[in-house]
Amino acid sequence: MFDLEASYEMFLGILGVLPETLLIAITILVLSTLLGVVLALIQQYKIPVLVQLTKLFKLFLRGTPMVVFLYLMYYALPAIGQFIVTLLGIDYNMNNMSPLVILIVTVSLTLSTFQSEIIRGSFLAVDPGQIEAAQSLGYSFSQTFTRIVAPQAFVHAIPDFANSFTVAIKATSLGFLITVIDIFAQAKIMAAQNFRFVEAFMMVALIYWGIGILITKFADRYENDVRIK
Amino acid sequence: METGMQELLMGFLKTLPINIIIIILSAALGLLFAVLLTFVRLNRIPVISQLADLYVSFARSVPGLILLFIAYFGIPKVLPLIGLGTYDISPMHAAIISMGFYHSGYISEVFRPAYLAVEKSQHEAADSLGYTPMQKFFRIILPQMVPVALPGYGNALVYLIHDTSLIFAIGIVDIMGTAELSISRSYGINQILIYFIIALMFSAMCFTTDGLVRKLEKRVAIR
Repeated sequence: MFDLEASYEMFLGILGVLPETLLIAITILVLSTLLGVVLALIQQYKIPVLVQLTKLFKLFLRGTPMVVFLYLMYYALPAIGQFIVTLLGIDYNMNNMSPLVILIVTVSLTLSTFQSEIIRGSFLAVDPGQIEAAQSLGYSFSQTFTRIVAPQAFVHAIPDFANSFTVAIKATSLGFLITVIDIFAQAKIMAAQNFRFVEAFMMVALIYWGIGILITKFADRYENDVRIK
Repeated sequence: METGMQELLMGFLKTLPINIIIIILSAALGLLFAVLLTFVRLNRIPVISQLADLYVSFARSVPGLILLFIAYFGIPKVLPLIGLGTYDISPMHAAIISMGFYHSGYISEVFRPAYLAVEKSQHEAADSLGYTPMQKFFRIILPQMVPVALPGYGNALVYLIHDTSLIFAIGIVDIMGTAELSISRSYGINQILIYFIIALMFSAMCFTTDGLVRKLEKRVAIR
Protein backbone atom coordinates (compact mmCIF):
# COMPACT_ATOMS: atom_id res chain seq x y z
CA MET A 1 0.00 0.00 0.00
CA PHE A 2 1.02 3.60 -0.57
CA ASP A 3 2.05 5.01 2.80
CA LEU A 4 1.42 8.75 3.17
CA GLU A 5 3.36 9.17 6.38
CA ALA A 6 6.43 7.46 4.97
CA SER A 7 6.10 9.60 1.84
CA TYR A 8 6.07 12.78 3.92
CA GLU A 9 9.23 11.69 5.76
CA MET A 10 10.88 10.85 2.45
CA PHE A 11 9.86 14.23 1.05
CA LEU A 12 11.52 16.07 3.94
CA GLY A 13 14.61 13.84 3.76
CA ILE A 14 15.01 14.43 0.04
CA LEU A 15 14.47 18.19 0.41
CA GLY A 16 17.49 18.24 2.75
CA VAL A 17 19.79 17.40 -0.17
CA LEU A 18 18.08 19.82 -2.56
CA PRO A 19 20.43 22.79 -1.91
CA GLU A 20 23.45 20.65 -2.81
CA THR A 21 21.78 19.41 -5.97
CA LEU A 22 20.91 22.97 -6.99
CA LEU A 23 24.47 24.07 -6.26
CA ILE A 24 25.85 21.29 -8.48
CA ALA A 25 23.40 22.29 -11.24
CA ILE A 26 24.33 25.99 -10.98
CA THR A 27 28.06 25.14 -11.14
CA ILE A 28 27.40 23.04 -14.23
CA LEU A 29 25.34 25.82 -15.82
CA VAL A 30 28.05 28.44 -15.22
CA LEU A 31 30.91 26.20 -16.44
CA SER A 32 29.01 25.00 -19.51
CA THR A 33 28.02 28.57 -20.43
CA LEU A 34 31.64 29.73 -20.22
CA LEU A 35 32.80 26.80 -22.34
CA GLY A 36 29.82 27.35 -24.66
CA VAL A 37 30.93 30.94 -25.26
CA VAL A 38 34.44 29.71 -26.16
CA LEU A 39 33.03 27.08 -28.55
CA ALA A 40 30.67 29.64 -30.11
CA LEU A 41 33.53 32.12 -30.61
CA ILE A 42 35.72 29.44 -32.19
CA GLN A 43 32.93 28.60 -34.64
CA GLN A 44 32.02 32.23 -35.26
CA TYR A 45 35.57 33.31 -36.11
CA LYS A 46 36.42 29.96 -37.77
CA ILE A 47 39.76 29.58 -35.98
CA PRO A 48 41.62 26.92 -37.99
CA VAL A 49 42.26 23.50 -36.40
CA LEU A 50 40.20 24.47 -33.33
CA VAL A 51 37.02 24.75 -35.40
CA GLN A 52 37.49 21.21 -36.75
CA LEU A 53 38.17 19.92 -33.24
CA THR A 54 35.04 21.69 -31.98
CA LYS A 55 32.95 20.08 -34.69
CA LEU A 56 34.34 16.62 -33.86
CA PHE A 57 33.71 17.22 -30.15
CA LYS A 58 30.10 18.25 -30.81
CA LEU A 59 29.52 15.30 -33.14
CA PHE A 60 30.83 12.84 -30.55
CA LEU A 61 28.75 14.28 -27.73
CA ARG A 62 25.57 14.48 -29.80
CA GLY A 63 25.70 10.75 -30.48
CA THR A 64 26.85 9.61 -27.03
CA PRO A 65 24.37 9.20 -24.17
CA MET A 66 25.38 11.10 -21.05
CA VAL A 67 25.55 7.95 -18.93
CA VAL A 68 28.04 6.34 -21.35
CA PHE A 69 30.12 9.51 -21.38
CA LEU A 70 29.93 9.62 -17.58
CA TYR A 71 31.34 6.11 -17.26
CA LEU A 72 33.95 6.88 -19.89
CA MET A 73 35.04 9.95 -17.95
CA TYR A 74 34.89 8.05 -14.65
CA TYR A 75 37.76 5.91 -15.89
CA ALA A 76 39.41 8.36 -18.29
CA LEU A 77 39.41 11.66 -16.38
CA PRO A 78 41.74 10.57 -13.53
CA ALA A 79 44.09 9.14 -16.17
CA ILE A 80 44.01 12.38 -18.18
CA GLY A 81 44.48 14.42 -14.99
CA GLN A 82 47.43 12.25 -13.96
CA PHE A 83 49.00 12.72 -17.39
CA ILE A 84 48.72 16.51 -17.16
CA VAL A 85 49.95 16.62 -13.57
CA THR A 86 52.98 14.47 -14.44
CA LEU A 87 53.64 16.63 -17.48
CA LEU A 88 53.70 19.70 -15.25
CA GLY A 89 56.03 17.94 -12.88
CA ILE A 90 53.66 18.10 -9.88
CA ASP A 91 53.69 15.14 -7.52
CA TYR A 92 49.98 14.48 -6.95
CA ASN A 93 47.87 11.34 -7.15
CA MET A 94 44.85 12.02 -9.39
CA ASN A 95 43.36 8.55 -8.90
CA ASN A 96 41.40 9.62 -5.84
CA MET A 97 39.61 12.32 -7.83
CA SER A 98 36.19 13.06 -6.32
CA PRO A 99 33.22 11.59 -8.24
CA LEU A 100 31.55 14.99 -7.84
CA VAL A 101 34.30 16.58 -9.96
CA ILE A 102 33.84 13.87 -12.59
CA LEU A 103 30.07 14.45 -12.66
CA ILE A 104 30.43 18.23 -12.94
CA VAL A 105 33.07 18.00 -15.69
CA THR A 106 31.09 15.41 -17.68
CA VAL A 107 27.76 17.22 -17.60
CA SER A 108 29.40 20.61 -18.21
CA LEU A 109 31.18 19.27 -21.30
CA THR A 110 27.96 17.75 -22.66
CA LEU A 111 25.86 20.81 -21.89
CA SER A 112 28.46 23.18 -23.36
CA THR A 113 27.71 21.88 -26.86
CA PHE A 114 24.03 22.84 -26.40
CA GLN A 115 24.98 26.16 -24.79
CA SER A 116 27.24 27.12 -27.70
CA GLU A 117 24.33 26.57 -30.11
CA ILE A 118 22.02 28.66 -27.91
CA ILE A 119 24.60 31.45 -27.70
CA ARG A 120 25.27 31.39 -31.45
CA GLY A 121 21.55 31.44 -32.21
CA SER A 122 20.81 34.33 -29.87
CA PHE A 123 23.61 36.46 -31.30
CA LEU A 124 22.35 35.78 -34.81
CA ALA A 125 18.87 36.90 -33.71
CA VAL A 126 20.07 40.46 -33.10
CA ASP A 127 19.15 42.56 -36.14
CA PRO A 128 22.36 43.40 -38.10
CA GLY A 129 20.85 46.85 -38.76
CA GLN A 130 21.30 47.64 -35.07
CA ILE A 131 25.01 46.84 -35.27
CA GLU A 132 25.36 49.08 -38.33
CA ALA A 133 23.45 51.85 -36.53
CA ALA A 134 25.79 51.55 -33.54
CA GLN A 135 28.82 51.67 -35.82
CA SER A 136 27.49 54.75 -37.60
CA LEU A 137 27.15 56.41 -34.18
CA GLY A 138 30.87 55.77 -33.69
CA TYR A 139 30.53 52.96 -31.06
CA SER A 140 33.66 50.88 -30.67
CA PHE A 141 33.50 47.07 -31.11
CA SER A 142 33.36 46.43 -27.37
CA GLN A 143 30.78 49.19 -26.83
CA THR A 144 28.58 47.74 -29.57
CA PHE A 145 28.92 44.32 -28.01
CA THR A 146 28.25 45.23 -24.38
CA ARG A 147 25.60 47.93 -24.97
CA ILE A 148 23.71 46.72 -28.03
CA VAL A 149 24.29 43.07 -28.87
CA ALA A 150 24.76 41.31 -25.53
CA PRO A 151 21.65 42.71 -23.73
CA GLN A 152 19.37 41.71 -26.61
CA ALA A 153 21.01 38.33 -27.16
CA PHE A 154 20.70 37.59 -23.45
CA VAL A 155 16.93 38.23 -23.41
CA HIS A 156 16.56 36.01 -26.44
CA ALA A 157 18.47 33.20 -24.73
CA ILE A 158 16.58 33.22 -21.41
CA PRO A 159 14.04 30.46 -22.23
CA ASP A 160 16.81 28.23 -23.61
CA PHE A 161 19.00 28.86 -20.57
CA ALA A 162 16.07 27.87 -18.35
CA ASN A 163 15.84 24.68 -20.37
CA SER A 164 19.56 24.04 -19.92
CA PHE A 165 19.21 24.52 -16.17
CA THR A 166 16.47 21.86 -16.13
CA VAL A 167 18.74 19.57 -18.15
CA ALA A 168 21.57 20.15 -15.66
CA ILE A 169 19.34 19.32 -12.68
CA LYS A 170 18.04 16.20 -14.42
CA ALA A 171 21.56 15.16 -15.34
CA THR A 172 22.71 15.19 -11.71
CA SER A 173 20.37 12.21 -11.21
CA LEU A 174 23.00 10.15 -13.03
CA GLY A 175 25.42 11.01 -10.25
CA PHE A 176 24.22 8.11 -8.12
CA LEU A 177 25.82 5.71 -10.63
CA ILE A 178 29.21 7.06 -9.55
CA THR A 179 28.26 7.58 -5.86
CA VAL A 180 27.45 11.31 -5.92
CA ILE A 181 24.56 11.98 -3.52
CA ASP A 182 21.95 14.28 -5.03
CA ILE A 183 18.17 14.24 -4.45
CA PHE A 184 17.73 11.06 -6.50
CA ALA A 185 20.53 9.19 -4.74
CA GLN A 186 19.08 10.33 -1.41
CA ALA A 187 15.67 8.94 -2.46
CA LYS A 188 17.29 5.61 -3.33
CA ILE A 189 19.11 5.46 -0.01
CA MET A 190 15.92 6.24 1.94
CA ALA A 191 13.94 3.72 -0.12
CA ALA A 192 16.46 0.97 0.56
CA GLN A 193 16.09 1.50 4.32
CA ASN A 194 12.40 0.55 4.45
CA PHE A 195 11.74 -0.86 0.95
CA ARG A 196 9.32 1.95 0.07
CA PHE A 197 10.62 2.43 -3.46
CA VAL A 198 7.42 3.73 -5.01
CA GLU A 199 6.95 6.40 -2.34
CA ALA A 200 10.57 7.51 -2.61
CA PHE A 201 10.57 7.72 -6.40
CA MET A 202 7.19 9.47 -6.48
CA MET A 203 8.39 12.06 -3.97
CA VAL A 204 11.63 12.74 -5.84
CA ALA A 205 9.69 12.95 -9.13
CA LEU A 206 7.34 15.50 -7.51
CA ILE A 207 10.33 17.56 -6.42
CA TYR A 208 11.85 17.47 -9.93
CA TRP A 209 8.48 18.40 -11.38
CA GLY A 210 8.12 21.30 -8.94
CA ILE A 211 11.60 22.57 -9.78
CA GLY A 212 10.84 22.30 -13.51
CA ILE A 213 7.64 24.33 -13.17
CA LEU A 214 9.33 26.93 -10.92
CA ILE A 215 12.22 27.41 -13.34
CA THR A 216 9.90 27.87 -16.33
CA LYS A 217 7.65 30.31 -14.42
CA PHE A 218 10.61 32.28 -13.07
CA ALA A 219 12.30 32.46 -16.48
CA ASP A 220 9.05 33.59 -18.16
CA ARG A 221 8.52 36.33 -15.62
CA TYR A 222 12.16 37.45 -15.80
CA GLU A 223 12.02 37.50 -19.59
CA ASN A 224 8.88 39.64 -19.47
CA ASP A 225 10.55 42.04 -17.08
CA VAL A 226 13.70 42.58 -19.08
CA ARG A 227 12.21 42.44 -22.58
CA ILE A 228 12.12 45.82 -24.31
CA LYS A 229 8.49 46.81 -24.50
CA MET B 1 43.03 -10.05 -23.32
CA GLU B 2 42.39 -11.19 -26.89
CA THR B 3 39.74 -13.78 -26.03
CA GLY B 4 38.20 -11.44 -23.46
CA MET B 5 37.85 -8.70 -26.05
CA GLN B 6 36.38 -11.12 -28.58
CA GLU B 7 33.86 -12.39 -26.05
CA LEU B 8 32.92 -8.83 -25.11
CA LEU B 9 32.37 -7.80 -28.74
CA MET B 10 30.22 -10.89 -29.30
CA GLY B 11 28.27 -9.98 -26.18
CA PHE B 12 27.69 -6.46 -27.53
CA LEU B 13 26.43 -7.81 -30.85
CA LYS B 14 24.11 -10.25 -29.06
CA THR B 15 22.60 -7.61 -26.77
CA LEU B 16 22.38 -4.74 -29.26
CA PRO B 17 19.01 -6.02 -30.61
CA ILE B 18 17.55 -5.52 -27.11
CA ASN B 19 18.36 -1.82 -27.27
CA ILE B 20 17.00 -1.58 -30.81
CA ILE B 21 13.74 -3.41 -29.95
CA ILE B 22 13.15 -1.12 -26.96
CA ILE B 23 13.89 1.96 -29.08
CA ILE B 24 11.46 0.89 -31.83
CA LEU B 25 8.64 -0.16 -29.49
CA SER B 26 8.87 2.87 -27.22
CA ALA B 27 9.07 5.19 -30.24
CA ALA B 28 5.87 3.57 -31.60
CA LEU B 29 4.10 3.81 -28.23
CA GLY B 30 5.31 7.39 -27.83
CA LEU B 31 4.05 8.40 -31.28
CA LEU B 32 0.63 6.87 -30.70
CA PHE B 33 0.20 8.48 -27.29
CA ALA B 34 1.59 11.82 -28.46
CA VAL B 35 -1.00 12.05 -31.25
CA LEU B 36 -3.77 11.46 -28.70
CA LEU B 37 -2.20 13.92 -26.25
CA THR B 38 -1.80 16.64 -28.88
CA PHE B 39 -5.39 16.17 -30.03
CA VAL B 40 -6.66 16.54 -26.45
CA ARG B 41 -4.48 19.59 -25.76
CA LEU B 42 -5.51 21.37 -28.97
CA ASN B 43 -9.20 20.75 -28.49
CA ARG B 44 -9.02 22.28 -25.00
CA ILE B 45 -11.58 19.94 -23.50
CA PRO B 46 -11.81 21.32 -19.94
CA VAL B 47 -10.01 19.41 -17.17
CA ILE B 48 -8.73 16.73 -19.58
CA SER B 49 -6.61 19.18 -21.55
CA GLN B 50 -5.26 20.68 -18.33
CA LEU B 51 -4.36 17.21 -17.13
CA ALA B 52 -2.62 16.61 -20.46
CA ASP B 53 -0.65 19.86 -20.03
CA LEU B 54 0.37 18.78 -16.53
CA TYR B 55 1.44 15.41 -17.87
CA VAL B 56 3.62 17.04 -20.52
CA SER B 57 5.33 19.27 -17.96
CA PHE B 58 5.88 16.17 -15.77
CA ALA B 59 7.39 14.16 -18.63
CA ARG B 60 9.71 17.02 -19.50
CA SER B 61 10.99 17.82 -16.02
CA VAL B 62 11.51 14.40 -14.38
CA PRO B 63 14.72 12.51 -15.26
CA GLY B 64 14.25 9.42 -17.43
CA LEU B 65 15.96 7.22 -14.86
CA ILE B 66 13.33 8.05 -12.24
CA LEU B 67 10.43 7.42 -14.63
CA LEU B 68 12.05 4.07 -15.41
CA PHE B 69 12.16 3.20 -11.70
CA ILE B 70 8.59 4.44 -11.13
CA ALA B 71 7.33 2.19 -13.92
CA TYR B 72 9.32 -0.82 -12.73
CA PHE B 73 8.54 -0.56 -9.02
CA GLY B 74 5.29 1.39 -9.23
CA ILE B 75 3.12 -0.43 -11.78
CA PRO B 76 2.94 -3.73 -9.83
CA LYS B 77 1.97 -1.74 -6.72
CA VAL B 78 -0.53 0.62 -8.32
CA LEU B 79 -2.48 -1.88 -10.46
CA PRO B 80 -4.01 -3.79 -7.49
CA LEU B 81 -4.95 -0.45 -5.90
CA ILE B 82 -7.12 0.53 -8.85
CA GLY B 83 -8.57 -2.98 -9.06
CA LEU B 84 -6.73 -4.25 -12.11
CA GLY B 85 -5.30 -7.33 -10.41
CA THR B 86 -1.71 -8.26 -9.79
CA TYR B 87 0.92 -8.06 -12.48
CA ASP B 88 4.62 -8.67 -12.19
CA ILE B 89 6.06 -6.34 -14.74
CA SER B 90 9.14 -7.47 -16.63
CA PRO B 91 12.01 -4.98 -16.89
CA MET B 92 11.53 -4.92 -20.69
CA HIS B 93 7.88 -3.85 -20.37
CA ALA B 94 8.74 -1.27 -17.71
CA ALA B 95 11.40 0.17 -20.00
CA ILE B 96 9.12 0.36 -23.06
CA ILE B 97 6.22 1.88 -21.09
CA SER B 98 8.25 4.51 -19.26
CA MET B 99 10.37 5.50 -22.29
CA GLY B 100 7.34 5.54 -24.60
CA PHE B 101 5.25 7.66 -22.27
CA TYR B 102 7.80 10.30 -21.56
CA HIS B 103 8.91 10.42 -25.19
CA SER B 104 5.25 11.17 -25.98
CA GLY B 105 5.41 14.24 -23.73
CA TYR B 106 8.38 15.57 -25.69
CA ILE B 107 6.95 14.97 -29.14
CA SER B 108 3.54 16.33 -28.21
CA GLU B 109 5.42 19.60 -27.64
CA VAL B 110 6.76 19.24 -31.21
CA PHE B 111 3.40 18.42 -32.81
CA ARG B 112 1.40 21.18 -31.12
CA PRO B 113 3.36 24.15 -32.54
CA ALA B 114 3.52 22.36 -35.91
CA TYR B 115 -0.27 22.20 -35.95
CA LEU B 116 -0.59 25.81 -34.86
CA ALA B 117 1.87 26.85 -37.60
CA VAL B 118 -0.70 25.97 -40.28
CA GLU B 119 -2.35 29.24 -41.25
CA LYS B 120 -5.90 29.84 -40.08
CA SER B 121 -6.99 30.84 -43.56
CA GLN B 122 -6.18 27.33 -44.75
CA HIS B 123 -8.68 25.91 -42.27
CA GLU B 124 -11.25 28.38 -43.50
CA ALA B 125 -10.50 27.63 -47.15
CA ALA B 126 -10.94 23.91 -46.53
CA ASP B 127 -14.20 24.56 -44.69
CA SER B 128 -15.52 26.73 -47.52
CA LEU B 129 -14.73 23.94 -49.99
CA GLY B 130 -16.96 21.67 -47.93
CA TYR B 131 -14.22 19.32 -46.66
CA THR B 132 -15.18 17.12 -43.72
CA PRO B 133 -12.92 17.49 -40.63
CA MET B 134 -11.20 14.19 -41.56
CA GLN B 135 -10.56 15.30 -45.13
CA LYS B 136 -9.35 18.67 -43.92
CA PHE B 137 -6.88 17.08 -41.51
CA PHE B 138 -5.45 14.46 -43.85
CA ARG B 139 -5.39 16.51 -47.07
CA ILE B 140 -4.60 20.03 -45.86
CA ILE B 141 -3.21 20.11 -42.33
CA LEU B 142 -1.15 16.94 -41.97
CA PRO B 143 0.91 17.45 -45.17
CA GLN B 144 1.87 20.91 -43.92
CA MET B 145 2.47 19.80 -40.33
CA VAL B 146 4.89 17.00 -41.20
CA PRO B 147 7.71 19.14 -42.70
CA VAL B 148 7.52 21.55 -39.75
CA ALA B 149 7.51 18.81 -37.10
CA LEU B 150 10.15 16.50 -38.59
CA PRO B 151 13.36 18.21 -37.36
CA GLY B 152 12.03 18.37 -33.79
CA TYR B 153 10.80 14.81 -34.02
CA GLY B 154 14.23 13.66 -35.19
CA ASN B 155 15.80 15.37 -32.18
CA ALA B 156 13.35 13.67 -29.83
CA LEU B 157 14.20 10.30 -31.39
CA VAL B 158 17.90 10.92 -30.77
CA TYR B 159 17.14 11.71 -27.12
CA LEU B 160 15.09 8.51 -26.87
CA ILE B 161 18.04 6.51 -28.18
CA HIS B 162 20.26 8.20 -25.59
CA ASP B 163 17.84 7.31 -22.82
CA THR B 164 17.78 3.61 -23.64
CA SER B 165 21.35 3.63 -22.29
CA LEU B 166 19.73 3.78 -18.83
CA ILE B 167 17.75 0.52 -19.02
CA PHE B 168 20.61 -1.52 -17.56
CA ALA B 169 19.77 0.18 -14.24
CA ILE B 170 16.69 -2.07 -13.83
CA GLY B 171 18.62 -5.20 -14.69
CA ILE B 172 18.17 -5.51 -18.45
CA VAL B 173 21.29 -6.97 -20.05
CA ASP B 174 21.68 -4.63 -23.01
CA ILE B 175 25.02 -3.32 -24.30
CA MET B 176 25.61 -1.30 -21.12
CA GLY B 177 24.65 -4.34 -19.04
CA THR B 178 27.13 -6.45 -20.99
CA ALA B 179 29.83 -3.88 -20.30
CA GLU B 180 29.04 -3.86 -16.58
CA LEU B 181 29.14 -7.67 -16.45
CA SER B 182 32.44 -7.88 -18.27
CA ILE B 183 33.98 -5.23 -16.02
CA SER B 184 32.84 -7.04 -12.87
CA ARG B 185 34.25 -10.29 -14.27
CA SER B 186 37.40 -8.25 -15.02
CA TYR B 187 38.75 -9.81 -18.15
CA GLY B 188 41.48 -7.27 -17.85
CA ILE B 189 40.09 -5.20 -20.70
CA ASN B 190 40.54 -1.48 -20.43
CA GLN B 191 37.26 0.09 -19.16
CA ILE B 192 37.92 3.26 -21.13
CA LEU B 193 38.01 1.19 -24.32
CA ILE B 194 34.77 -0.62 -23.40
CA TYR B 195 32.81 2.59 -22.87
CA PHE B 196 34.38 4.10 -25.95
CA ILE B 197 33.05 1.18 -28.03
CA ILE B 198 29.58 1.68 -26.51
CA ALA B 199 29.79 5.40 -27.26
CA LEU B 200 30.55 4.56 -30.90
CA MET B 201 27.64 2.09 -31.05
CA PHE B 202 25.18 4.67 -29.74
CA SER B 203 26.64 7.30 -32.07
CA ALA B 204 26.09 4.95 -35.00
CA MET B 205 22.44 4.45 -34.00
CA CYS B 206 21.89 8.20 -33.54
CA PHE B 207 23.52 9.16 -36.82
CA THR B 208 21.59 6.51 -38.75
CA THR B 209 18.32 7.82 -37.29
CA ASP B 210 19.38 11.41 -37.94
CA GLY B 211 20.27 10.57 -41.53
CA LEU B 212 16.95 8.82 -42.15
CA VAL B 213 14.98 11.75 -40.72
CA ARG B 214 16.97 14.20 -42.89
CA LYS B 215 16.22 12.10 -45.98
CA LEU B 216 12.55 12.14 -45.07
CA GLU B 217 12.73 15.91 -44.50
CA LYS B 218 14.02 16.39 -48.04
CA ARG B 219 11.26 14.23 -49.48
CA VAL B 220 8.40 15.99 -47.72
CA ALA B 221 9.77 19.54 -47.96
CA ILE B 222 7.20 22.07 -49.16
CA ARG B 223 8.37 23.31 -52.54
